Amino acid sequence: MDIDTTLAEARERIRACDDAAALKAIEREMVGKDGVVSALLASIPSLPAEERRAVGQGANQLKQAVLDAVAERTAALESSAVEAQRGAGHFDASVPAPAVERGSLHPLTRVTRELEDQFLSMGYHVLDGPEVETDFYNFEALNIPPDHPARDSQDTFFIEREGEGPELVMRTHTSPVQIRAMQRLTPPFRAIAPGKTFRNESVDASHEHTFHQMEGIVIGEDISVGHLIGAMKTLLRGIFNRDLDVRLRPGYFPFVEPGFELDARCPFCETGCSVCKRTTWIELLPCGLVHPAVLSAGGLDPERWSGFAFGLGLSRLVMLRYGIDDVRHLLSGDLRFLEQF
Amino acid sequence: MLISYRWLARHVDLSNISAEQLGDDLTLSTAEVEGIEPFAPHLEDVVVGHVTQRVPHPDADKLSVCTVDAGAAGDGTPLTIVCGAPNVDAGQNIALARVGCVLPGDFKIKKSKIRGVESRGMICSLKELELGDDHSGIWVLPAQAPVGEAVASALDMRDWVIEIDNKSLTHRPDLWGHRGIAREVAAIYERPLLPLDLSLPETGDAAPFPIAIESDRCPRYTGLAIDGARALPSPAWLRNLLLAVGQRPFDQLVDLSNFVMLDLGQPNHTFDRSRLSAEGIVVRQARQGETIQTLDGEERKLLETDLLICSGDEPVALAGIMGGEGSKVGEDTSELLLEVATFAPATVRRTSSRLGLRTDASARFEKSLDPTLPADAAAHYARLLSELQPEVRFPAPLSDAGQWQDPAHVLELRPAAVHTALGKTLPDGELTSILTRLGFGVEAAGELLRVSVPSRRATKDVTIERDLIEEIGRLHRYGNLPERTLLAEVTPFQADPRRALVRRIQDRLAGAARFHETLSYSFMDVGWLERTGLDAGPWVTLANPGIEGLSRVRRAVLPSLFVGLERARRQRGDVRLFEVGKGYLPEHAGEDGQPREVHQLALVWAGTPPGKKARWDEPRLHRLHAVLEDLFASLELAAPCWGPLAGEQPGEQAGEQDGETPIWSHPARGFRAHWAGQDAPAATVAELDPRLARDLGLAGELASDVAVAEISIDALLVAPPRPPSYRALPRYPGLELDVAAALDAGSSAASVDEAIRKAGKGLVQDVSLFDVYAGPNLGAGKKSLAFHVLLQSDTRTLTDKDGSKFLGRLEKGLSALGGELRKG
Repeated sequence: MDIDTTLAEARERIRACDDAAALKAIEREMVGKDGVVSALLASIPSLPAEERRAVGQGANQLKQAVLDAVAERTAALESSAVEAQRGAGHFDASVPAPAVERGSLHPLTRVTRELEDQFLSMGYHVLDGPEVETDFYNFEALNIPPDHPARDSQDTFFIEREGEGPELVMRTHTSPVQIRAMQRLTPPFRAIAPGKTFRNESVDASHEHTFHQMEGIVIGEDISVGHLIGAMKTLLRGIFNRDLDVRLRPGYFPFVEPGFELDARCPFCETGCSVCKRTTWIELLPCGLVHPAVLSAGGLDPERWSGFAFGLGLSRLVMLRYGIDDVRHLLSGDLRFLEQF
Repeated sequence: MLISYRWLARHVDLSNISAEQLGDDLTLSTAEVEGIEPFAPHLEDVVVGHVTQRVPHPDADKLSVCTVDAGAAGDGTPLTIVCGAPNVDAGQNIALARVGCVLPGDFKIKKSKIRGVESRGMICSLKELELGDDHSGIWVLPAQAPVGEAVASALDMRDWVIEIDNKSLTHRPDLWGHRGIAREVAAIYERPLLPLDLSLPETGDAAPFPIAIESDRCPRYTGLAIDGARALPSPAWLRNLLLAVGQRPFDQLVDLSNFVMLDLGQPNHTFDRSRLSAEGIVVRQARQGETIQTLDGEERKLLETDLLICSGDEPVALAGIMGGEGSKVGEDTSELLLEVATFAPATVRRTSSRLGLRTDASARFEKSLDPTLPADAAAHYARLLSELQPEVRFPAPLSDAGQWQDPAHVLELRPAAVHTALGKTLPDGELTSILTRLGFGVEAAGELLRVSVPSRRATKDVTIERDLIEEIGRLHRYGNLPERTLLAEVTPFQADPRRALVRRIQDRLAGAARFHETLSYSFMDVGWLERTGLDAGPWVTLANPGIEGLSRVRRAVLPSLFVGLERARRQRGDVRLFEVGKGYLPEHAGEDGQPREVHQLALVWAGTPPGKKARWDEPRLHRLHAVLEDLFASLELAAPCWGPLAGEQPGEQAGEQDGETPIWSHPARGFRAHWAGQDAPAATVAELDPRLARDLGLAGELASDVAVAEISIDALLVAPPRPPSYRALPRYPGLELDVAAALDAGSSAASVDEAIRKAGKGLVQDVSLFDVYAGPNLGAGKKSLAFHVLLQSDTRTLTDKDGSKFLGRLEKGLSALGGELRKG
């Protein structure tokens, strides 16, 4: 057998091979246990002594050459396979991504958290208060005695009373937490209190009997209207991510004196739109300096302490943020609504 | 409240101030202006026409065919108009609505054919123009009205109606009339308030009409006798002002009564004096069971707390709210008694709210009216009536009864307090100027200003120094105050643990567990609770539910998630919802009488039931259980003990109520989690009671596999934390084995777990159940539990020999349990 010829033939077959399995077969046939090289080596003892060395060397060279050729061909085949993958034909980039199932946080949770984080960063406490409130916290301590006309505008849900218990109501605003804050915290302090509030109103796309508010209260020494304006501007910057012009105008709330309505330039238009009722202003924050009688009711000396308070309609803010057209969606539990957030 | 621009101009010079400007300035300094509308804008389109000819309609008895000249508003050709009014005639000036004109009620005038005659326009009645109720005939305009001109300008009827938000006037009794608003306007623009003569015209010397006040709820009652008054139609200026503010003109006597109320803010009432008793007026509280028929025709049942105006003993008016039928002024009345009084605000408010009778008068009285005002208002009425009817006489001086006191008082104002509160130093001169313009008296007294509060502001509104600061701030304009930054010492912040916990719960559930967060009402419907059997109380209950039946304040959060479950299942094959909220338990009321508030997390996982060949862990009960395990681990809480639903819980007193199966739960299929040291279970996860599922409408095609869970946030807050721990990485490879045990169907997985750990002699690092199977090849009443087991040593590599020793021991352990190790 001529080793050179055998090698040349093997190389030719390897070069022509374009299939990994066939290549393995050739390799086995040449250098496997019962292969050509093994047969050659097995024949050595029967050869004349002077040929043995040459044949042995030749067999080893043949083996190495075949392995090299197979490896080379394998690499070539692999790389052409990779190239083939890279050059694969048409790809439709318009195919939508397969859906990943996900959960969601309620939009009220999202917006409340955003505000909480902002206030926490400015040293405010975040407080909670009961939804079922006493008349004292909801009205009296807030300078709204019985028979005060301001009680009318509150459309209160009253709780049925058995016996001589105190008058209970569903809280009509988050303002009772002002009093609870004064009782719980040592001044100076700053606090916000987001939560559910209730008004006995007829329900439509823009009115709900249950809605969310966020109260804020800052108590310190020599707190002025100027501080209130500064704090409210900071708040609005946080909400709308830009500076909005604001205006402060008189507003009447018995628990603040003076009381204000804070309007912001409509963030959605420049010349009037449905959100701002064509006025270019949106009424955002009732606020004011805490009334001395309220400080007293909360156990603070109005000669020493002063402060400001504000209320933010969270439900309304959520509707503004997402462009939600109907307030009733918020507490509907409708999955088609919840899944969007 | 509606304010007429023209009416205001009777009290203050408005030249160069547009209605819009006025609205903006009132908003910024006084009260919220909600809108400004032109008065009767359609009168710009309706023109003065002249009827040149009127002939009867050839085919209809009651119709006329008129030829109308529209002057410059026409095209030169006279218009033919068919008119049905009996009073139309040639030579009249009339209000002409041409083709294309739109009248109130979106009524567009079109060319039409009326019984064969083409009609090109309409001759209007007052009613059609919303200027009155008269529809008996057309509105005949004055002869001098220029033909062709718009009615609005020809009759000088242009006006603006400014709507002010009543809520922003709650504290200002003085602003419930035009003169009060005009006083603000005068102060804002630094213009004088025009004088108004409020002296009573000459009165005769007859004895004053007798008035007796028998209740402390009427501080003042004045009465003025008027003779010779006639119920004539009001002049145009009066009608138009009343129309502008939405009042229906009636006759002079009624219109002036309304005018005085809307001008000065003081309600008043006229009685037919000839129908009043000679004993005179008695103001007293009602007697139990007494009734009165009010002017609206309703019979009103009264309480002893209601205040009545009586003629002798006969009730003639509900004080401060509405007059009675009995002494109503009629067309033939000529002898009047004008009542102008002050009533206790709380009395008026309580009676009017109880009877649901809110009137212009009650709205004003409940704001605490100035008791000096009645005499002024009586004089105002008398003067205006004398101008319209010079022949009227006032036979007696004003009767004036009551123990009233002038509320005017003096307050001390510290300029420094003004500057501190506003955050800006204003010159003393500006403080004085503002207060003076608003009608306060100001006198310097050393460092202080002594400020006299006029009676109209003194009843309730301005009582402390801070109230004066508000006056200064609003007239200076809050927009002119500088913005200041809050400064405070920086102190380490303690976050509220519950809020922090809730946040982590929400994030884990909405994130890893893929649940949707929902928020529900705090109210539950009584009927729904009864239908679903979830009505076991006691409940906090609304006395005045807004929606019939929606009156229970929820005790727990979970049932809220049941309410919309049927709808959710119709929408989605798989529903995963959670809510964090509060429940209220009246049986655990606190010292202040408030029900105990419980904070809870509720979850529902509902969807298509798993198929027959479903894996053992496919039912949502197991998956929700896994969600909770994951949640607790993510909250870094120690692992709780899970136990059965009913019966004694670890650490619990036998027979305690908390050991009972929850009403919404399947009687057996559920788990409860409990942390050592806590009295009550912290979490319950269970399949929904199939009966409840049926009652919720989850039957038929909506039949569902529903797992629910209720977790006490309060319990999680005090649950023991998982201590920080670390296990060194293994140094030797472990031996993984799968073992399956065949046992009686009633035996527990926990017992097999225990047997495995025992057989491992300390080498068991991990045991996890991966299959539960029951089938014919096992035999009846048997089940198979299969576990992955990891054996591992810290000191050596384990061999197959260790494995077979373990299996040998396990075989014995299982047979002690009455089971066997399955081979294969």
